[in-house]
Amino acid sequence: MNQAAPVPKENQGEPVVRIDGRLKVTGQASYPADIATANVAYGVLATSSIARGKVSKVHTEEARAVPGVLDIVTYGDMDETDTPKFGNTGASSIGPLHDKTIFHEGQIIALVVAETFEAAEEASMLIRADYEDEPPSASFDSKGVKVEPAAGKSPMLQEDVKAGDFDAAYASAAVKIDQKYSTPTQHHNPIELFSTTAMWQGHQLTIHEPSQNVTGWKIELARQLKIDPANVRIVSPYVGGAFGSKGPMTARTAIVAVAARRVGRPVRCVVSRMQAFNTQTYRAETRHRIRIGAGKDGRITAFGHEGWEVTSRPDPYVVGGTSATGRMYNYGSVLTHVSIVHADRNTPGYMRSPPETPYVYALENAMDEMAVALGMDPVEFRRINEPEKEPIGGKPFSSRSLVKCYDQAAEAFGWSKRDAAVGSMRDGDWLVGMGCATAIYPTASAPCAARVRLTSDGQVRVQCGSHEIGTGVRTVAGQMAAERLGIGMDKVSVEMGDSALPPAPVSGGSISTASVCSAVLKACDAVRAKLFAAAVARDGPLAGSGNAKLDMEQEKIVASGGKSAKLSDVFKVMQVGAIEEYAEFAPKGSTPEALKKLYAGQAEFHGGDQDKDSVKYAFGAEFVEVRINSYTREIRVPRIVGAFAAGRIMNTRTARSQLMGGMIWGIGQALHEATEIDRRNARYVNRDLQDYLVPVNADIKQVDVILVPEVDLDVNPAGVKGLGELGNVGTAAAVASAVYHATGKRIRDLPIRIDNLIS
Amino acid sequence: MSNSTSPSGLSRRTFMTGSVTAAAAMPLMATSPKAAELSPARAAEPRDLSTISLRINKQAYTLALDNRTSLLDALRDHVGLTGTKKGCDHGQCGACTVLVDGKRVLSCLSFAVMNQGREITTVEGLASADGELHPVQQAFVDHDAFQCGYCTPGQIVSAIGCIDEGHAGSEDDIREYMSGNLCRCAAYPNIVAAIIQARDEIRRA
Amino acid sequence: MRPFLYERPTSVSAAIAMASRLDARNVAPTQAKTQFIAGGTNLADYMKLGVAQPERLLDLNELTEPALRQIKTDDDTIRFGALVRMGEAADNNDVRRRCPLLADSLKFAASGQLRNMASLAGNVLQRTRCEYFRETSWPCNKREPGSGCAAMQGVNRQHAVLGTSDACIATYHGDFAQALIALDAVVEVEGQRGPRKIPFASLHRLPGDTPNIETDLAADEVIVAIEVPLDPWSRRSRYLKIRDRESYAFALASAAVALEMDGNTVRQARIALGGVATVPWRARAAEDALRGNVLDDKIAAAAAEAAFADARPREHNAFKIPLGKRTLVRALLETRDMKV
Repeated sequence: MNQAAPVPKENQGEPVVRIDGRLKVTGQASYPADIATANVAYGVLATSSIARGKVSKVHTEEARAVPGVLDIVTYGDMDETDTPKFGNTGASSIGPLHDKTIFHEGQIIALVVAETFEAAEEASMLIRADYEDEPPSASFDSKGVKVEPAAGKSPMLQEDVKAGDFDAAYASAAVKIDQKYSTPTQHHNPIELFSTTAMWQGHQLTIHEPSQNVTGWKIELARQLKIDPANVRIVSPYVGGAFGSKGPMTARTAIVAVAARRVGRPVRCVVSRMQAFNTQTYRAETRHRIRIGAGKDGRITAFGHEGWEVTSRPDPYVVGGTSATGRMYNYGSVLTHVSIVHADRNTPGYMRSPPETPYVYALENAMDEMAVALGMDPVEFRRINEPEKEPIGGKPFSSRSLVKCYDQAAEAFGWSKRDAAVGSMRDGDWLVGMGCATAIYPTASAPCAARVRLTSDGQVRVQCGSHEIGTGVRTVAGQMAAERLGIGMDKVSVEMGDSALPPAPVSGGSISTASVCSAVLKACDAVRAKLFAAAVARDGPLAGSGNAKLDMEQEKIVASGGKSAKLSDVFKVMQVGAIEEYAEFAPKGSTPEALKKLYAGQAEFHGGDQDKDSVKYAFGAEFVEVRINSYTREIRVPRIVGAFAAGRIMNTRTARSQLMGGMIWGIGQALHEATEIDRRNARYVNRDLQDYLVPVNADIKQVDVILVPEVDLDVNPAGVKGLGELGNVGTAAAVASAVYHATGKRIRDLPIRIDNLIS
Repeated sequence: MSNSTSPSGLSRRTFMTGSVTAAAAMPLMATSPKAAELSPARAAEPRDLSTISLRINKQAYTLALDNRTSLLDALRDHVGLTGTKKGCDHGQCGACTVLVDGKRVLSCLSFAVMNQGREITTVEGLASADGELHPVQQAFVDHDAFQCGYCTPGQIVSAIGCIDEGHAGSEDDIREYMSGNLCRCAAYPNIVAAIIQARDEIRRA
Repeated sequence: MRPFLYERPTSVSAAIAMASRLDARNVAPTQAKTQFIAGGTNLADYMKLGVAQPERLLDLNELTEPALRQIKTDDDTIRFGALVRMGEAADNNDVRRRCPLLADSLKFAASGQLRNMASLAGNVLQRTRCEYFRETSWPCNKREPGSGCAAMQGVNRQHAVLGTSDACIATYHGDFAQALIALDAVVEVEGQRGPRKIPFASLHRLPGDTPNIETDLAADEVIVAIEVPLDPWSRRSRYLKIRDRESYAFALASAAVALEMDGNTVRQARIALGGVATVPWRARAAEDALRGNVLDDKIAAAAAEAAFADARPREHNAFKIPLGKRTLVRALLETRDMKV
């Protein structure tokens, strides 16, 4: 029995092996920096060592004298291009070489291009800058930060959700808590380094760069370079981990493109791990104040959630997770408020479950505190606050299987064997603690196009400009086509990660499987319609079966009456060698411009809390066991169980892997990950994988994923809820609750480390 | 394609006068200055290229490289074997793991010039000529031991080293001895399961 | 990285002769123009970061003296050749059987790949991993004497509480060295002035006013062997390493412990502490506190108190004092309970 391939239950697809598995285990999958490029020159960035001020002069003489240096792109050299824009496609409005203002540490001040990587790297270290530096503001509480309400100031948060009279309800609640929580700065740190390879052929520009949004980048890069988008191609067939980091395009892409034009040859810039901490986006640190009031029966009457998030000086980035936390339970009354804190830092960006990871962490840690205050079992506490409708707009949930998730996970975990008394469970020198938390992630989808070709010999090719970032979207897109067209997976090929393909939305927000599969489904159905019409036509092999229900399986068209026709025979009648269909999918509720916007690289998201008829979320429940050494207090997680319901599961193998990976991310969020800031100068200190810790193999023992069957055809035609981001929501709170259970110490500031538990 | 390798212990003389034969799979070498262009009369300079001979996946290569070039960059940029990945370039992630004389090492922290005469095995050299996957590769596919696939070549090569060293005896051993390979997608439990399958298969064979 | 010359001596004497005489007298080996490289796991990293800037590397991997690659054991010593790799020594059955402390200090260091690369001599000479030392844009007295110490008032969670000075609080992160200093190892060195033996405890220098000078070695000297005296009771020895994650991380605190017991009474104890000090750290006060006493929780705690009596915490690393104490207590009790 292979744990990696769970037996499908109701509404769950086969655990087909990854379509690109062989390529990935043989080293043949080409990531963007792997593309063989003749005559390539190497680019290395030089970056600022201060966080705030102005560059008065960049000294490049020494660097230029290094043998092999071809060019140095610095201030003035980007003047003919437009500055980057902040938004879903652009990471930041900071145009580092357009403006000598330094907004954050590690801002690009030059790009050195040389014959070899060694020469470019040597020269980059010889670039010196004179600065007029000013004292920077690092983060919360730093002198000089600007705090403002997010709603109204940021396009990313429409409103502070609220319901009922929170103040009155909270004031009169029999049991209440009022606590503060925080999460640290974090960096995605995909193992693939960020890179850009730019090559010009006449006016045609090709960019090889790991991307979660090739169509968006094409449009944005063309705008910055003031060229026709038709002349720009972004290629990113495989992405070595993304987690949001490769969603927005950064300023580097245009700089490398300009460099390649200047030196008249391809330029490849692979950014060092250290420089990536500042030139890419990150998850900003957050703070939370949560107030919950309840009756003695455990029914919540008041929920207040205030959030604070750090962003850059110029850009109002905010994740604002209150829209999800405000709808989680049957609260009675809700009051939320989100503030953004402008500091001398780079603009943050989305990182796996951007709003939910920090906000649900705070909520769920508070829920456990509340259960303790009420003397209730934390699972029971959640059960009795399970809502009929979401409390903000009073809309129904398209589906909500949270209680089922709790039931199945609790059973598998053995929750009933937990002794609720704090510090009561022990195994030798190890304190044992158990905790649980809810996972939630909005279900959205966006317009998407796909092209499907079926040839008479049964070969299927699926083309879609989505992105294989490890989710398995290539596999499930192929699986969708294989199932609909009755073809074996071995005859299916899938092309993705190229802006020359039919456009797909950004691979973020867990929308890809739903959006891509809906488009592939639509294209396949068009292929089927043509074949069916030909099959039952007067001269067709199934003539006379016009009223029968037709399907495709094993390279045949099968009629409900039992008759069938070989695919090749239908093609023969049609007198064609291949059928190719191009389909555009737009979610229910799309605006008339939705598809036009797809081609302009602006995905219009639908679902989540945005739809009129219902709110759409995927849910899960996670249970964690921690062990804490009674002497030395190191915290280990020997066991974690998660049950998740996410509509149709296309492939139980890739779904399990993603949820498992998410849960392990959650363990890292709880115990390991934090980017340390030297507050004196607003600089990161641990800009590498030596000191930015992520879990290693030895940290992870037993991880059980339960796929809870759920049918929800309201969400999208494929019936799919995303789950790439669901797994790591709630985990950190479950760990914090387990740590409390083991030690009696409630840790509210992540990560939870020995420092917090040793006195 | 193949060049004979000289035994290890390369002398200054070989540095300066040895002829350079670029292997066929080296389109990128065209842009690099050749060691042969250097005058044999003058003293060595730090920027001179060194001529080194390696066997990579049972194929002989002679390369003219900057002394600073890491084995990793030599493989990727000069030989064209890009299966080995750069994830940190500082020995912190394991993505660049290769076998040198049968031992797993980090190619990013090894100057290529220090590998004169050594036998290098990369992920490209594992499957048999007829395309049959190495048991570790097959097990990684079977157990979905990766998602994005970027750390995978390093994981697989490291796993081969781990099994060969005798450090794959138990799940706990595998976890400990595979901890030098970060997987940000966090496929760890699947990696452990894959290594157990491969270990048993290798033992049977 | 600055360009460098590369040469491969084939004998220790040739290697020493090739090292610059000028360097040998005047500068620390880490700042010399000519430097030795073996595994390269520390030096190559620091060359890439611009922290180390040798102009010439002497690759020691072609040295032909067989003893450099051998582990020799007799009744009362283990002699490690300098070029033995960490992984090989960790897996050596004799080492593991006769002194688990030595084997575990190697096993719990770094990763499988790094242990296959790093030589034992290079490992004990590894330089601090202080983040402010690693990146050249920060002031650092160790990297650039007189420039100041950014860690002192900066993020110093991983920094030392023992052996610090006003110039430097960088931690010595090695593990093997803790075993060696606990066991009174001796380092055999060869250089232009001839061979000499250095007690391991004298190999590393406290930072004081010159944190840039890290060891007692001259730039022309190479370690050729490390000799560890063993007693029958070396079998009752243990290395306990506490870190944020389960593996592949530096110690927040570690304890190297070897005990000679007479029933429940400590006849003799050897203790070293890692992750908390600027150099490999022998805790003699703790050893004294144990000697002649029955080893129980109370006396273990007293020993731990003694070990950290002079500890000086900074803003973020104060936790290392209770952690270091508890690590030692746990290590002592676990060592006591070992079945040997």
